[in-house]
Amino acid sequence: MSHEVDLRHSECPLFFAWAFDVQRLCEITRLLEPTAELLKISENVSRSWRGLLFSKLEPQLTRKPVLVVAVCGGTNTGKSFVANYLAGTSMSRSVPEAARTLHPVASLPQGMSVTMPVHELFPGFVPFRWSSDSDAIQECDEHRIVWREDETGRQSQRLIILDTPDVDGPLRENWRRAELVRDSADVIVAVLTQQKYNDAAVREFFAAAGAAHKEVLIVFNMLSLPEQQETAIGWLSTFRMETGIEPLAVYMVPWNRSAADSGTLRICDASATRDILRDLSELEIDRIKIRSMKGSLALVLDESVGVPAWLEAIESQSKQWQKIRQTIANEVRVEVSLPPAPREIIWNEIWEWLEPRRSSIDLKVSKVYSSLGRKILWMGRKVGVLKSQEQKQEDFAAIELDALTKAMSDLVDRLDILRTRSTQLHGILNHAFVEVDRSDWYADLERRHKVLPLVSDDYRKFVRSELDRYAKDNPGAIDFIKHLLTAAAVARPVVTIGLFTAGAAGAAMGMGFVHHIGDILVGTATSLAGEGAIGLTASSLKPLLESLFAGWSSERARVLARTLEEVVLGDLLTEIDQRACCGSQSILNEARLLVRSLREASTHSM
Amino acid sequence: MPFSTPHTREIAKSLAASVSNEDESSREFSAFDELIASMDVWSDSLLQWPPAAAVRAAWSEVHDRLASASREQSRMLVVGIVGGTGTGKSTLVNALACRNVSTAGDQMRPTTVHPVVIAPERADLSWLPLQEINARVVNSDAESISQIILIDCPDPDTQPTITSSPTHAVRPSDSNQNRQLLEKVLPLCDVLFLVSTAQKYRSWVVAKELAAFAPGRPVLFVQTHASRDPDIREDWKRELVSQGFSVPIIFRLDAVEANRRHAVGEQPDQGFQEILDAISFELNQRGARRVRRTGSLDLAGWFLRSVRSSLEDLREPVAALASGIRLQRQSLESQMARAIGTELVSCRSAWQQVLVTDVLQQWQGGPFSMFLHAIVAIGSLWPRLASLPGGMVSRILTNSRGVRMVTTVPQWHSIAEIGISQAAVERSRSILSGMAARAAIHEPLVGRVKFENSRESDTIAGLLGRTDAWLSTGVQRLLSTRRAEVAGQGFRLIFELLFSGMVACVLGRAAWGFFYGQLWLGQSSEGTGFLQESLVWMILWGLVLRWLVLMRLRIGLNRDIDQLVQTLSQAQPTGPLLADFEEAAIRTSEFIARGDAIEAEWSAISLRLTEHLGPLGRLTEEAACDRLRNS
Repeated sequence: MSHEVDLRHSECPLFFAWAFDVQRLCEITRLLEPTAELLKISENVSRSWRGLLFSKLEPQLTRKPVLVVAVCGGTNTGKSFVANYLAGTSMSRSVPEAARTLHPVASLPQGMSVTMPVHELFPGFVPFRWSSDSDAIQECDEHRIVWREDETGRQSQRLIILDTPDVDGPLRENWRRAELVRDSADVIVAVLTQQKYNDAAVREFFAAAGAAHKEVLIVFNMLSLPEQQETAIGWLSTFRMETGIEPLAVYMVPWNRSAADSGTLRICDASATRDILRDLSELEIDRIKIRSMKGSLALVLDESVGVPAWLEAIESQSKQWQKIRQTIANEVRVEVSLPPAPREIIWNEIWEWLEPRRSSIDLKVSKVYSSLGRKILWMGRKVGVLKSQEQKQEDFAAIELDALTKAMSDLVDRLDILRTRSTQLHGILNHAFVEVDRSDWYADLERRHKVLPLVSDDYRKFVRSELDRYAKDNPGAIDFIKHLLTAAAVARPVVTIGLFTAGAAGAAMGMGFVHHIGDILVGTATSLAGEGAIGLTASSLKPLLESLFAGWSSERARVLARTLEEVVLGDLLTEIDQRACCGSQSILNEARLLVRSLREASTHSM
Repeated sequence: MPFSTPHTREIAKSLAASVSNEDESSREFSAFDELIASMDVWSDSLLQWPPAAAVRAAWSEVHDRLASASREQSRMLVVGIVGGTGTGKSTLVNALACRNVSTAGDQMRPTTVHPVVIAPERADLSWLPLQEINARVVNSDAESISQIILIDCPDPDTQPTITSSPTHAVRPSDSNQNRQLLEKVLPLCDVLFLVSTAQKYRSWVVAKELAAFAPGRPVLFVQTHASRDPDIREDWKRELVSQGFSVPIIFRLDAVEANRRHAVGEQPDQGFQEILDAISFELNQRGARRVRRTGSLDLAGWFLRSVRSSLEDLREPVAALASGIRLQRQSLESQMARAIGTELVSCRSAWQQVLVTDVLQQWQGGPFSMFLHAIVAIGSLWPRLASLPGGMVSRILTNSRGVRMVTTVPQWHSIAEIGISQAAVERSRSILSGMAARAAIHEPLVGRVKFENSRESDTIAGLLGRTDAWLSTGVQRLLSTRRAEVAGQGFRLIFELLFSGMVACVLGRAAWGFFYGQLWLGQSSEGTGFLQESLVWMILWGLVLRWLVLMRLRIGLNRDIDQLVQTLSQAQPTGPLLADFEEAAIRTSEFIARGDAIEAEWSAISLRLTEHLGPLGRLTEEAACDRLRNS
């Protein structure tokens, strides 16, 4: 043994230095899992490290070290034969049909299942206790691991032997299962044949094992010995070059079906002096274990295929979403040109507020005027010159609804354009935007608009508070108001509706990320017609009136905002915001720091 | 040739049948050529629609093969030997060629890195792009393959699918281009021999390649290594059927043994003899045409089914768009009808004025007519208090003599009076663009929700024009029916008589008073007082009669207006507003329907023309094969 470390009786003192960090890394990657899913990070990015981290490092780092020996190879190359040979019993059946072993079969040393639960040792698999050698060829959807304990007691206490499904057959599930087993293994028994040693699928499978510094024993099966012995050495060198594997030992098994069936065929090296069973029992378990654990960790920490690449992918994908969010905030914004607010509505509010503040003479006079005015108005309506109040309100409502409808179709169209331009947005917008009947949106807007009172309680409160504030600030100005009440101020506020997400709006304000909640904002820019007249006489009154009219208009426009939020977009903005904010999670930084410290720890230790 | 097995006897039978049918089938095959021509036109007919453009792209891949198939019917068949590495493709080729033409055996995998073309000396290879596929040509005089061109293809399974290993090391296989090379060779083949072994018959890579190239190419399945491997044909057949193939027979042979027997001059064994028979009976010159035709029919059928299954999901959205357009048009038109109806009704005084003017033009002379003229004359002295509404309706009414008003540049607010607002139109277009998006219809097939400036005024002008034309003729018709109510001479006569009666009464009463009372009885004159009184009565009576005439004109006017308004949808005034959607819906649904028709045509032709191919398997279930291709 090169490192003279005895791991047999301790709980991995050597790995202790980074065991905690690895566990933390597992936790963090698990926490980031939903984020990666949300951002649709391709599984290929995590293909090289996920199995090693979760199927090997996590379950094996804190447990008593045992070697996991996995027999792997292509379809119909005789994996089950080799596995049965190693386990010394028929644990999975050899059948002439290819790709029949669907589930890995594990042979545990006697008594191990009590101290080391199988499901903890092989996460991702559902343990299934072995009952016969046809268990592994039963079809079922779940990833199952069939396990049995060695009954003879001959199997080393520190070895687990596994038979695996194929890596090149038509069932992709089989590949997946084989990869999981490979990742958790320390020693791979690669079963090669003349036909398959250079198949790309087989090569790639074993190359990944080599990259993770697992020990490999090569069993060259189905050879016509001794004729093919020389050529087989050439084949092996090709295999070594292709996979980067330096095998611990190579065994040559002759083509002999009857011997294989009767169990008399031995797996020996070329000179027939060393048997694989003996070699297996003499493995330097601790050295191999340390090597494979370190190898796995190195791959997990690898810049280009490990966790860092995955973190990088999360961040860059999230940046894309930040861009999208900004684009939405910039481009999906329309100006709603609402009809001028019916003057009397706001004036009525002001009158009501003024009522208790006016002198009795003033009141009487105005009463006469107003009754006179009412009569004139009545006559005007009768001859059809003037419209009735109801008619006016109806007309106003129709024009207002038209303006809101136009704004909505404009917003929807802008989002549509963005949808066709950005593939990411297309993905999340398609469902909400294409698979629905848009007429529902407009019907909803109409419904909401219909039930919207001309003057809401909120607005009334707002007017009162504004006027109170104004009166308090300008005690003399109250008289002005009384005189100016007849001044015609026709307000035509332009209300802007935009889709902002809090992040984008926050960034625009230079506040960084405040909240993860999307919102539809209504901003008002008021221009008052007739403001000049008022401005001349009471400049301080102008902002008051402006704010009163603007407040009213933005409240009207909020109906549209609410329809957009609740019916059209749903949680869409929140979703975009979530995606955009993923990249700035502190947990990403923590993961990076962890990777760095783990890298240092693993190079310095030992 | 010995007819040793049942299936070879069957081949002979089908051969005899096909000879007698040959002329007839040649004639019929021109129907297939026509079908190909119409598929070409169809696939090119709507490129702006992405699904149709995808159809065209798929078509461009099969078109050449279909065209050449009918052109080169009697050309020698090209048989590609395909299969995973190490399955003994080259050994089989050597056995068929009766000599060592292709390196085979226990060499470094992959053995065959360049395709080897084995052809009889007389074969015309000028059409094969030998340079491009980097092929080596070997002439063979072996009798068994004297009618075909064999290509020993590179394997599909040694080229890596990912470009670099996790360790970034340079590997020998980085330069392996076998699969790409294979994908260049396979398009040249008419028939495939799929060679496999017990180890390789369930290979995902091979299945995927086969799925990509099997459509339209009959396949012969061969299990090699018969002397060593167990017989896996039953299980392989199950696997092939699950991949969508019909598998009449799987040959099982040992090419090494065949080579050995040939070397020592022995007769081939049964397994090898069977495949020799199949080649000489099925793939000879006469068979070539059969194979090629059936291949073309299969290919065309595969193309049609696969593109139509891609269009399948769009049927419902396209139909939904069409009905959505109808709905939106209805809703816009009902708004229009309501607005125009209200307007027409509210223009009562205009109607009255027009009608009375009409009536007066017809009624000349006669006391009542004179009375009416007089009232109009007096009325015209008054300035009009309530002027007519200035809209299109009243314009048409006042210009009912057929003079069309020239309108200025049309804008949205100028058509508000006919009940169409920009908001309503944009709402409809927004709803429809959602439906169009579901049917994958985008620009330029349909425009945006908001019209561009140039199109906007054109569209509004179109809407106005249609409405104007419809309303003018409608109003004309309405006026003429109204007019007809009072046009009868009898009707006028009654009123003239009634009025004249009053005049006569007054005159009679005056005459009575003068002649009888004053002259006869000698009473004093009644004076002008009576005349003044009777003048008042006469005017009142005249007004009553005028009111009656107007009533006659007015009764049923509202009903007529209702009827007129209901004819609005026939004029399709809103057509220009949704024209792009309408056209897109029609064109897309026509495209889909045309595809259906072509497939029906194909089914009929293929039923007549598809021939039995003996031991050759064919791809019959595309769904299974598509799944593999996309996996």
